[in-house]
Amino acid sequence: MVDVGLLLQTVINGLLLGGIYVSIGVGFSLAFGVLEVIDFAVGEYVMLGAFAGALLAPTFGSEGVFVIPLVFLAFFGVGFLIQPFIHHVTSGDRPMPVLMGLVFTFGLAIFVRGSVLTLFGPNNRNVPSDLLVGGVTIPGIGIFPTVRVVTAAVGVFALAVFMYYLYNTRGGMAIRAIAEDRTNARLMGININRYQSIAYGAYAGMTATAGVFIGLIFTANPGMGLQYTAFAFFMVVLAGLGYLPGVIVSGVVLGLAQSLTAVYWSGEVVLFVLFALIYVVLLVSPSGILGKGGEHAS
Amino acid sequence: MRGNGETTRSSETNSATGRRDFLRAVGGVGVAGATTGYLGARQGRDNFKLGVVTSLSGELRFGGQVTRRGYELWKQAVNEQGGIQVGGSSHQVELVYADAQSSPSTGADAASRMISQQNVDAVLGPYSSNVTLAVVPIMEKNRMPHITGSAESPQIWQQQPKYTFGTIPTVSIIADQAATNILNLDPQAESVYITGVNEPFSKSTAQAMRTAAQNADVEVLGYELFPRGTDYANVVTQAKNAGPDLHFHGGHIGSHVNLVNAAQQLDYNPNGMMFHYGVNTDSYKDGAGNGAAYTFGATVWLPQVERSGGTLFETPQAYVEASRSTFDTAPDYTQAGSTAAGIVFGEAFKQLGASPPLNQQQKDELVSILEGIEVETFYGTVSFDNEGEYYHNNTQTSPLAIQLDQDGSPVIVGSEGGSEPTYPVPSWSER
Repeated sequence: MVDVGLLLQTVINGLLLGGIYVSIGVGFSLAFGVLEVIDFAVGEYVMLGAFAGALLAPTFGSEGVFVIPLVFLAFFGVGFLIQPFIHHVTSGDRPMPVLMGLVFTFGLAIFVRGSVLTLFGPNNRNVPSDLLVGGVTIPGIGIFPTVRVVTAAVGVFALAVFMYYLYNTRGGMAIRAIAEDRTNARLMGININRYQSIAYGAYAGMTATAGVFIGLIFTANPGMGLQYTAFAFFMVVLAGLGYLPGVIVSGVVLGLAQSLTAVYWSGEVVLFVLFALIYVVLLVSPSGILGKGGEHAS
Repeated sequence: MRGNGETTRSSETNSATGRRDFLRAVGGVGVAGATTGYLGARQGRDNFKLGVVTSLSGELRFGGQVTRRGYELWKQAVNEQGGIQVGGSSHQVELVYADAQSSPSTGADAASRMISQQNVDAVLGPYSSNVTLAVVPIMEKNRMPHITGSAESPQIWQQQPKYTFGTIPTVSIIADQAATNILNLDPQAESVYITGVNEPFSKSTAQAMRTAAQNADVEVLGYELFPRGTDYANVVTQAKNAGPDLHFHGGHIGSHVNLVNAAQQLDYNPNGMMFHYGVNTDSYKDGAGNGAAYTFGATVWLPQVERSGGTLFETPQAYVEASRSTFDTAPDYTQAGSTAAGIVFGEAFKQLGASPPLNQQQKDELVSILEGIEVETFYGTVSFDNEGEYYHNNTQTSPLAIQLDQDGSPVIVGSEGGSEPTYPVPSWSER
């Protein structure tokens, strides 16, 4: 006999976990779709965001939420400045540009992780918040922890904003044109460097912001990034490479699969189930779970 | 600037020759380095050189740094006192590090490389049991005296390793005794939910907690192991659904923090939660924030508990002060156990009476000395079992059940002379 209360709470957990994944997957998918950069440093942006939340919150009255706009702007700037370097190693006549970008961001990730470890030590750090404590209990259904609900909502909201930007503004059209064909976009007079920097800045800002939320939900520590890098990859593969709308579906599917497996089968087999899921999707639908992914899908 | 008489070459030839020269230069430096290393290994030295294998990077780097601090404090204290006295001479201590990167296979490779290249006299062991389990066979193969100041899995001692010793009692003793104390708090628990991370130390911890519950006739409502990095919302949902009086968890600090945070978010309120390792560390308290208060835990050493003292650090308090002045942090029992491992080696070197570097026969004699040694330290009396399931493990140091108070300070509970616990603990909203 299935315990309805347990099932509902498990589904809620899965949906909210999926929302957390969405908040990371948006930027990653954007970077891949527009810049064709498989960014191994994605988890490190999450870690840096969480660390920024932990370090800056005391100056904002121990309220991690207030740090969020600052983190977004700061990391937008960081991404904007870093992108030309990535562009430099992934363009020109270099062989295997995708691999070059991958190696560059891999090195960046190791450098960032090591630097944070050296500067701040290996301790876990708390990102405090009084605004996002507690949760809403709905009798017979379960608890919706405020911080997880807000994180999921922000992830979906961010996706909606980027979709609007991409499909309803001149800047978005320029970015889509770059994703479609860089050479033609340049011939049309689009300032490629500028829009690529904007896209990468948005990605870095979004991912670091997701990091603050993840710090609020879990904790901040220098080694946390690897896990989120792995999940970002899972996300974009399931979504269909570079296909932004697929990010919501893949995030929810991954969250639900993880949650239901842990509760109804065994916590030990969660990763096995996730990998199996991805293999099956790739075999059945190489273009992602909605069948619409692929090159330049954003 | 080119020198006189240099032949002018085309840029292509120049570039090719430049690469060859560069490769020759690199090769030359490599050969010179290797030769120097080899000769260095062969030549005499007058200091005791110990290898340290620990996790300086990767997921277990927090614990790796804890062990490093423990070993470094021993080295610092010994060297400040002039070194280890052997006969009429004194010999300074040198530590060389190999990073296990939190991975058993990397740890084994690093240990093997260090032993073959560094000509160490002995080895101070890794942080974490899973790395130690991979390193122990390397020590056996190389007949290298090895003391771990950290590893707690009983599997290490069940293998009856000849060359490996450990200063911290196995977790099946610590977790069992501390859990028994907490299970018998008033009102006595009728049920417990037990979770753990699926790795050697954490699994052994969870198993020991389950044994303690079964021995105390407390119903185990759930027992499950999870991979590292799991989302503890699911763990908490299952546990909350079961409604236990107590929740016990075996893992490292990161998993404790995530479990507590998930319990807060989902309003899971058992009468008490117990994690074996690390509740009185800054990493746990910083990570869990206000959720850390009232957590139960286990330890084998606290500064306020009087221990035999003596060698190098007169009292536990003196050791705390040394740690604070050197590393600006308070030590936990793993750090203390690591320093004690160094102290034991120091006393064994003295008893051996041989000057460094040690040859294989002297290393074998050192192992015989360790088997019979008894050293009074700030951490307690250290001596190693020579038979049974805890072969070469120091089982002398008594485990303590602790609880963090409202301010995060650990107080001893549930044993003779212990303080009154806050039990059942307040709900999350009342903390």
